[in-house]
Amino acid sequence: MTCEELRDMYELYALGLLEGEEKDEADAHLGRECPTCRKSLHAALAINTMLIANSPAAAPSSKLRRRILATVGIERSSWSWAAALAAVCMLAVALWLGRQERERGKELAAARDTLMHVQGDRDKMLEAFRFLNQPETKQVGFQKGPRGNVFVNSRAGVMMIAANLPKLSGGWIFEMWLIPKGGAPRPAGLFTAADSGDAFHILSGPVDIASLGAVAVTIEPEAGSRAPTSTPIIAVPVAF
Amino acid sequence: MFLKLLPAALLFQVLQILLRFKDDPDLARKLQARDPHAMADLYDRYGRIAYSLIFRVVRNGAVAEDLVQETFLRVWNRVQSFDPSRGALGPWILTVARNQAIDYLRSVDGRMSSGALELDRLESPTLFSDFEDSAVSIDRARRLKTAFEKLNPQQRTVIELAYFEGLTQTEMADRMKQPLGTVKTWVRTALKVLRDDLAEAASA
Ligand SMILES: [Zn+2]
Repeated sequence: MTCEELRDMYELYALGLLEGEEKDEADAHLGRECPTCRKSLHAALAINTMLIANSPAAAPSSKLRRRILATVGIERSSWSWAAALAAVCMLAVALWLGRQERERGKELAAARDTLMHVQGDRDKMLEAFRFLNQPETKQVGFQKGPRGNVFVNSRAGVMMIAANLPKLSGGWIFEMWLIPKGGAPRPAGLFTAADSGDAFHILSGPVDIASLGAVAVTIEPEAGSRAPTSTPIIAVPVAF
Repeated sequence: MFLKLLPAALLFQVLQILLRFKDDPDLARKLQARDPHAMADLYDRYGRIAYSLIFRVVRNGAVAEDLVQETFLRVWNRVQSFDPSRGALGPWILTVARNQAIDYLRSVDGRMSSGALELDRLESPTLFSDFEDSAVSIDRARRLKTAFEKLNPQQRTVIELAYFEGLTQTEMADRMKQPLGTVKTWVRTALKVLRDDLAEAASA
């Protein structure tokens, strides 16, 4: 067969569908590096690519990415992912804080550890990152006993990163509270700490920052309470 | 189920990603250096389009995910013989993805695989060297889609059967209960229409 005759067959050839004599002929031309046929084959591959790329969009589950990356030895548990994200978060915090006080550096390191140890959950990490990434997010640090930072964003909510929290015995949990200026504390979610004493908690949703007077944490029975039943272990006055 | 026509809307956005050959040499080199993060980049760039293609062929999400995984592993394992500066990653990955899907289809249909070996050879990374930059482009894809829509129903059917069901012309003749010669004519004219349309666009 001539190159010209074969030209019509390279799309099928590239799809693995050419049979019999036609396939043998194509193989022969390509085998002897026939330049015309090589060109035809490349043109055919290009057409095939564009035709098969034209498939209706469908989305795999988000797990697939992790699964595939695990097969090449990364993200066995979303761990390095979490670590990378935590690093980004901390960079955002660091930039955001501006000042590089020694004490603050320690705080940030503690917070980074917290993010890495407490949260394997990448959705929550992402939420934290989004939170920190918003320019209007405000931050207040706290130092006595438990150390850490409270981040407040009128649209996103309130996030707390804390270290050095007391160890809880079974049946108890930490509860965060938002305390309006001159008002009663409102429940703002339950959380636990890692063995290291690190914790990370987000209350998502709009907050009226103008009326917010303080953010506090108490130890409560594990079902949580509607009002604090103990003295706060963290009480951070905020005034924006 | 002959007339699973190509969708009305081309995935230009996805194609755009697919066609960004320019960034690929670097990515290919990192893959060759066994940088696992390059695998993440590769997946982010081509995972969705590979999945869309495979899902279209196998029509089962769980199976499609397994085959996408297989596709990326194959690429990872064979990337050493890929030529980063001259090769085209996108066309290669899509070819591997299609072959995975067709292979699966053949095995569940109990069809004789025309040779796993054959498909294996046809996705050799060296085949995807020396792609002309302009060979695959949004413009050409758009042309191709318009040209495809102008094909008559028989022509469209045979193209669908070849690309997305992996039927040989003999198998098509069987399935469509038509003489082999007739099927071959449909295939040849359909491909010629598509090819000529692109050539015309190039010379215009
Ligand atoms: Zn030739």
